[in-house]
Amino acid sequence: MSTTPVSSAKPGASQARSKTAGRQETIWTVALAALLVVLLAYFYLAVPDFRSLGTSGVLALCEQFLFTGLIALGEAVVVLAGEIDLSTGAMSSLSGILMASLWQQGLNIWLATVLALFAAALGGALNGFLVTRFNVSSLLVTLGTQFIFGSVATAVGGNTPPYNFPRSFVTLVGTGTVGPVPDQLLVFAVVAVAAWLLVARTRYGRSLVLIGYNRAASRYSGIDVRRSLLWAFVASGLLAGMAGIFVSGYYNAARDDIGDSLLLPAITVVVLGGVDIFGGRGRMSGVILATFLLGFLTQGLLIRGDSSLTATMVTGVVLVLCLVLKVALDHRAWAQLRELLRHRVSGMGELRAGRGA
Amino acid sequence: MTALSAPSAPSAPLRAGETGSGAKRSGPVLLGMLRRRELQLVLAILALGALSSALHPSFLASGNVSFILADSVSTMVVAVGQTIVVLGRGIDLSVSPVLGIAAIGVGFPAQDHNLSIFLALLIVLVIGMALGAGNGFLVAVVGIPPIIATLATLTIYGGLQFIFTGGQEVVNIPNAYGNLGNANMLPGVPWLIVVGAAVVAVVWFWLRRTVTGRSIYAVGNNADAAFRAGAPVRRILFLTYVVSGLLAGLGGLIYLCHVGSADATTGSDTNVNLMSIAAALIGGTTLLGGRGGPVGSALGAVFLSEALQAMIASRVPPIWEPAGVGALIVIAVITDRGATPARLLARRPFREPSHGPQ
Amino acid sequence: MQRPPAAVAPGARRYEAIGVSKSFDGANVLTDVSVTFEAGQVHTLAGENGAGKSTLLKIMAGVYQPDAGELHLGGERLAGLSPRSAQRRGIYLVPQEPALMGSLSVTENLFLGILRRGRMRTVDWAAMRREASAYLARVGLTVDPDARAEELSIAQQQLLECARALAHRCTTIFFDEPTSPLTAHEAATLFSVMRSLRTDRYSLGFISHRLDEVLQMSDRVTVLRDGRSVLSGDRSALDRASLVTAMVGRELTTRSRARPHLDASGAREVLAVNGLTARPQFEEVSFSVREGEIVGLAGLVGSGRTEIAEAVFGLRPVERGTVRLAGELLAHRNPRACIDAGLVYLPEDRGRHGIFADVDVERNVTAGVIPRLQRWGPLLRPSAERSMAEQATAQTAVRMASLGTLMRSLSGGNQQRAMLARWLLAGPRVAIFDEPTRGVDVGAKDDIYRLIGELAGQGLACLLISSELSELVATCDRAVAVYEGHVVGELQGADVTDANLGALVVGGTPR
Repeated sequence: MSTTPVSSAKPGASQARSKTAGRQETIWTVALAALLVVLLAYFYLAVPDFRSLGTSGVLALCEQFLFTGLIALGEAVVVLAGEIDLSTGAMSSLSGILMASLWQQGLNIWLATVLALFAAALGGALNGFLVTRFNVSSLLVTLGTQFIFGSVATAVGGNTPPYNFPRSFVTLVGTGTVGPVPDQLLVFAVVAVAAWLLVARTRYGRSLVLIGYNRAASRYSGIDVRRSLLWAFVASGLLAGMAGIFVSGYYNAARDDIGDSLLLPAITVVVLGGVDIFGGRGRMSGVILATFLLGFLTQGLLIRGDSSLTATMVTGVVLVLCLVLKVALDHRAWAQLRELLRHRVSGMGELRAGRGA
Repeated sequence: MTALSAPSAPSAPLRAGETGSGAKRSGPVLLGMLRRRELQLVLAILALGALSSALHPSFLASGNVSFILADSVSTMVVAVGQTIVVLGRGIDLSVSPVLGIAAIGVGFPAQDHNLSIFLALLIVLVIGMALGAGNGFLVAVVGIPPIIATLATLTIYGGLQFIFTGGQEVVNIPNAYGNLGNANMLPGVPWLIVVGAAVVAVVWFWLRRTVTGRSIYAVGNNADAAFRAGAPVRRILFLTYVVSGLLAGLGGLIYLCHVGSADATTGSDTNVNLMSIAAALIGGTTLLGGRGGPVGSALGAVFLSEALQAMIASRVPPIWEPAGVGALIVIAVITDRGATPARLLARRPFREPSHGPQ
Repeated sequence: MQRPPAAVAPGARRYEAIGVSKSFDGANVLTDVSVTFEAGQVHTLAGENGAGKSTLLKIMAGVYQPDAGELHLGGERLAGLSPRSAQRRGIYLVPQEPALMGSLSVTENLFLGILRRGRMRTVDWAAMRREASAYLARVGLTVDPDARAEELSIAQQQLLECARALAHRCTTIFFDEPTSPLTAHEAATLFSVMRSLRTDRYSLGFISHRLDEVLQMSDRVTVLRDGRSVLSGDRSALDRASLVTAMVGRELTTRSRARPHLDASGAREVLAVNGLTARPQFEEVSFSVREGEIVGLAGLVGSGRTEIAEAVFGLRPVERGTVRLAGELLAHRNPRACIDAGLVYLPEDRGRHGIFADVDVERNVTAGVIPRLQRWGPLLRPSAERSMAEQATAQTAVRMASLGTLMRSLSGGNQQRAMLARWLLAGPRVAIFDEPTRGVDVGAKDDIYRLIGELAGQGLACLLISSELSELVATCDRAVAVYEGHVVGELQGADVTDANLGALVVGGTPR
């Protein structure tokens, strides 16, 4: 990063370069970008149906997975801080249902959308409050609230959740385009850039990342850990809510069960994007790339004729594979493995010595 | 931590109340059972029963009591497996498809070819162990964080379940299965309760009285120290997932016998993941590892089943069931002082300590 | 089958380390050290912090592998020793911080790794509980064998570790600075246990940097300094003066006061702590620090000194008491408010509370002043941040490849300089330095103190916490001593001496 030598060059300098911060993240991000290109090239060359879509068709595919990306962006904020939010999928369902129900009650649909997003942020705040106030595991809290949000969504939606929204709404958040570019993609681009800047270039983002790396040291450095975490959950809830609105617009119907199928892809995107599940390490640019990578992979498989089930399973397999790869790339893991082997070998020596005695 | 603690008098008496003197203990065998959470739960079960029957006189009818008990067994068995994983400081989010695969894996042969129930038992155990070994491999051998590893296998196994069903359902099971699932051994004592109690007893004995069982507690407490004391940490972790899978498989057979049907969503439609974790947490097993045990989890499962019946008796719509369980999880978590250390998620996979400075 | 432990007359085998060397990350921690432990002896490894005592015992207990040198037990050469195999050979290290299983019972902790088995190879709790009481009695520990280990005090946990060594039939037992977290009374209990083990011909290794303990407990003493053995001999052949010379060595000459004592009584009082109380850690603590003054807060580990500092910095709640900064009351203290008011705290445990090991130096250095980073709208300006970090690290002379270097790859001394740079950026009026030289090379220690002296010269009010009395003596203008959570005395100027402070921190009175 900085090339300004503060001390005069010394023997260890070249070795120290490999310990420069951010290098691993850069490699990961570049690898994701390269994979995305390879993947698109493969589908373009090998799958005729994919090729026949044309540019606008391929861009339109994005509408199938951008809501996952929205959830992933929010999830990434929480994961960067070393927590997790399992309630995001259910929150998407809930916000979509809330929006639709409010609209059905006669409210202007845009006002209903704003209110639903507000409710989603509030739900995130509830998660954050429970986690920070009682200092308990977010894994368990959000596992619990996941089912609470889901139940509320089912209850509010009733047997036939509202559908057939006004055309203006469906066009803008659902299927509309500007030229060949879907509206959704434009909105996602704005949100993604905002999330990226938030993490990489604001005071809040800095605090969040440091909390993820070392929570105690953050506290000793004067960072308000609780408040930062609370806002991370709010961001996660809000973006999940936004995803719920998108889904409703795209399908022109609210669904109370859509969220369940969004959680795992979203977490997969976060992990694939290179965000360390223990917090701190990771970049939003990676998450954004991973959204498209996983999205096009799934859609491409579907177009090739694989079942949606296969596509879902591929998500799980990709998650496992990239984790295995990460473990393998982790320098320290290798060092430990070597140490372990040496230990084993010397242990055998010891065994022999022991027998001799 | 220790360096920061305040000076205290030498050979100071133990801090008040927690364990009391040796005289209060009623012998070695009961030691593990008489932890406070178990007693609390028994009281809570009785209190909820009393309250519900006061409001709805039919609640305590003997048929309903044995139904509550029998209905809890499938959750109970899975929760006991979940407990073993959590004791080793892990978590298993893939138990619901494991249960589902086991249920359909024997359900179809039973329906179509009248598979003997003993063979069915063998098959579910093998299925469960194989799927559990998959989790164990990812967590203990590769070193992937348990929550992510089992979240991934949740989809993979869920996909397998869909594939295996091929759109079909098990609707018709032989009588031998149905009898086991619903008949009483003695009046008021369903067979299933006997099965559940046997599983809990065996696991309790295993955890309490074998070196392997104690190693699970040690690994959950402090994997490094356990390694230094000679515990084969990775093997132990692997084993916990295998046993969890095995018990989830058994839970699948019990579910099949009790409910009489199985399909592609069996397991996930009854929120087995949530229920098993909830039962373990309510039973006093903390995600910190090394604390808790199968008896508490079994009681937790009974309590959950009772609470759901109470909701039904109070005419709460069934769609609120998951919310009720979710709320119970949240309550159990925030009232459990043992689970408070800030970063439970920071359960980095165990690695043998390197010989560097510390 | 069951044998009472007293009946085991061990007669530990002679255990030798010959020419052992060890380095971590290129820094030599031990160089060609030889030492011998014999049955019926307490052999003390003495030396200042960082002298390599602990590393030597850890090597001999199989925790680390030596880079060079050999270990011989009763004539047999041990290669590739692991903690487990060391225990099997009768060598046990009681670690500085007891490594027990908190939620498991005292009994189970005693037998961890060697659980007794009865019928059908099942764990025989009854037998173990019977045996346990014998071992517990042997070390004078009167606790319920069924109590959970986390319910014991630190002193009890240490005795439990010792009993664990006996249960594992270990006859060579090493104690790694066992007394540092103990009160004088607790230490006396431990010593009597050690003496009775010595009588039973156990071989005991003991680490201490406290002269009185060394003189009181040892049969044999080896003094380490900077990783080398500088003196080894029978206790009877040594006296206080020769030990001090050996332990402190050249530092006696080089670590003279860098600056004269400052009489700051006329200067402005910048930090005033009044009646601060958070029982049971500390009670009615009052002291003040003036502009340009370095005040030492002396006390043993566990005396409450770190707790006091953390409470002043708003990291711990207090029952009552006030903290004033230049006359202004800091009412609802939290770290952010303290930093903004000009009070900073350099934590004792650098690895856990100080640095972000996997973050670059730049972000480490600016972590304390995130709200004050220059912005462009809501966005941070990286170039401004970098120049801030550059300036601060230059001021404290952090040696690194670049600001992008990971904090982890810096040496202890440079990490500490980076921490100092972090707090310089905050523009403090008062700084609390908690053990600033812990885990820092001997050479870098003096630099850190010189830096602190310079800062004081520029008017910074410094509160310096250390258990190294000699470091306080060399640095402070005034010293406040705490013992068991109470301020027990204050020394001014030339009265700040090793002897006076040493008496105060153990609850005595200065001569």
